[in-house]
Amino acid sequence: MLIRTVLDRLFLWSGYLSALFLVGIAVTIIAQVVGRFFPKLVLVDSTETAGFCLAASTFFGLAYTFKQGAHIRVTLLTRLATGLLDRLIHLWSMAVFAVVMGLMTWWSFDYVYFSFVFDDISPGLLAIPFWIPRSGMALGSLVLLIALLDEFVRVAAGLVPSYVENDESQQPERVEDHI
Amino acid sequence: MDAGLIATIVFFLMLALLATGVWVAPTLIAVGFVTLHFFSPAPAGSLLASNVWDASWNWALTALPLFVWMGEILFRTRLSSDMFNGLAPWLSRLPGGLLHVNIVGCGVMAAVAGSSAVTCATVGRMSMPELKKRGYDENLAIGTLAGSGTLGLLIPPSIMLIVYGVVAQVSISRLFIAGIVPGVMIILIFMAYVALRAKLNPALAPKQDTGLSFVQKLYASRYLFPVIALMFVVLGSIYGGFATPTEAATIGVLGALVLAAATGSLSWSSFMESLMGAVRTSCMIAFILAGAAFLSIAMGFTGVPRVLAGYVDAWNLSPVMLIVLLTVLYIFLGCFLDGVSMMVLTAAVVLPMVDKAGIDLLWFGIFTVIVVEMAQITPPVGFNLFVLQGMTGRDILKVTRSAAPFFFLMLLGIAIITAFPQIVLAPVQFMIE
Repeated sequence: MLIRTVLDRLFLWSGYLSALFLVGIAVTIIAQVVGRFFPKLVLVDSTETAGFCLAASTFFGLAYTFKQGAHIRVTLLTRLATGLLDRLIHLWSMAVFAVVMGLMTWWSFDYVYFSFVFDDISPGLLAIPFWIPRSGMALGSLVLLIALLDEFVRVAAGLVPSYVENDESQQPERVEDHI
Repeated sequence: MDAGLIATIVFFLMLALLATGVWVAPTLIAVGFVTLHFFSPAPAGSLLASNVWDASWNWALTALPLFVWMGEILFRTRLSSDMFNGLAPWLSRLPGGLLHVNIVGCGVMAAVAGSSAVTCATVGRMSMPELKKRGYDENLAIGTLAGSGTLGLLIPPSIMLIVYGVVAQVSISRLFIAGIVPGVMIILIFMAYVALRAKLNPALAPKQDTGLSFVQKLYASRYLFPVIALMFVVLGSIYGGFATPTEAATIGVLGALVLAAATGSLSWSSFMESLMGAVRTSCMIAFILAGAAFLSIAMGFTGVPRVLAGYVDAWNLSPVMLIVLLTVLYIFLGCFLDGVSMMVLTAAVVLPMVDKAGIDLLWFGIFTVIVVEMAQITPPVGFNLFVLQGMTGRDILKVTRSAAPFFFLMLLGIAIITAFPQIVLAPVQFMIE
């Protein structure tokens, strides 16, 4: 199944991209601290770049985190359901999530477009055009929307949701993702 | 429309979405969107994008993924497997013996892992078999683990404190420093309780001394000290005003990588596992925070928080009464919500009330985290209870009963910091900023 491979790669690589930006936060901080010792050589404004890396890391990680079952939901009632009811609950909650992400994706692209048109520039020293970091939000939301639709189809076809299958907290010995 | 009616509709909509299994973050966004779209003239769509964006590149939040990552790295070093052997020689002579290893071990692990379920599981996996072999009382063994496992939420660098700091706009540096003394105090309360129980009934905890010399003791804990030293450096740099929390977290990540490399547990696969683990946790939290920021803006447009805060004024509640009521509320919410969601969901409404009642928001952060800790060991959704149930094979009722005394000891802790708020606030006054 080509489409399956393509989608799974998309979600995984989007997760790797998120990891890269997470490392990026640390790298900009290190660059700034080093830069302090050579004030004439480099000027790094890590307040903004670290923030941009954080946002990119969050949004690119959304789909991967969703597939891994690490986003939190309340399962107190829903875990009692079995069979058809269980599947309907999964479909319902994913449908709501997909509507939310649809809105999020639409309005993020709108936001990016107007940041570009009005030439919105970040207030820091680097004066980065805002549409660049903001497009991370739009693209990441889009990938999560795709993941939701994909998962919706899978569950409708009778498969176990990935976020249940991959969720480590289902095995009580390895509760790792709850705070 | 009347603010009271809007508040009711919003509350029930949120309840309905959460109860039917919709994820927390999209629930917050959905409720915020509905509120703005139907109850205010503001453009919901463009506010959604701009507010979620503003919340997502918040400088204060950049410390979160790094601290999570540091914990993930340290968690994969020999620290966790050597915790028992490292602590046992130092603590075995106290009344209560090796039970104290559970408490102090959780305290150390908590500083590293920042997650109470992980703390509880890691320490318990090593100590439970040892305690059983030596004939310790199972109830106390489970109880100490359940109780001290929750310390993960309070002992800095705590993820919960970062979340609170971002939501309440309180300095994270100050929260970290404020969390140290109450954290140590709760550890001491637990230890005193165990010692007392063991004095009254020595059969609960058979006494033994490993008979190691001082040098042998040091050697047994050789993997422990570097980690404790790293914690001192991280917190010390914040306390001394040398570093912001994000800079301290970067130091923490680098130090953790060096420690992992030095103890031979750093490989490409463990590096990637730790990094992807950090992605999952921090992405989940950051998404919830972004949703909460949007909801809180939406609520602001309707004027609901102001009206609710006004009610509190009208009731003429004393601050102590308000704290008592909020304790009950949080413990109740803890029956179905996890800590982060609980804190974030209530923030928009509770924080203005608390502020208006003249309660220090820094103090309130520490209070909230302790109450959230208590919620971790209340059924039916106490994560620590599930962890221990899986580990010991006992039923949830027995685990809950073992944990109950520690629940009340934490309540005692709250009473103490309420009576003497200086325990929380004094250390912050000596900080260099």
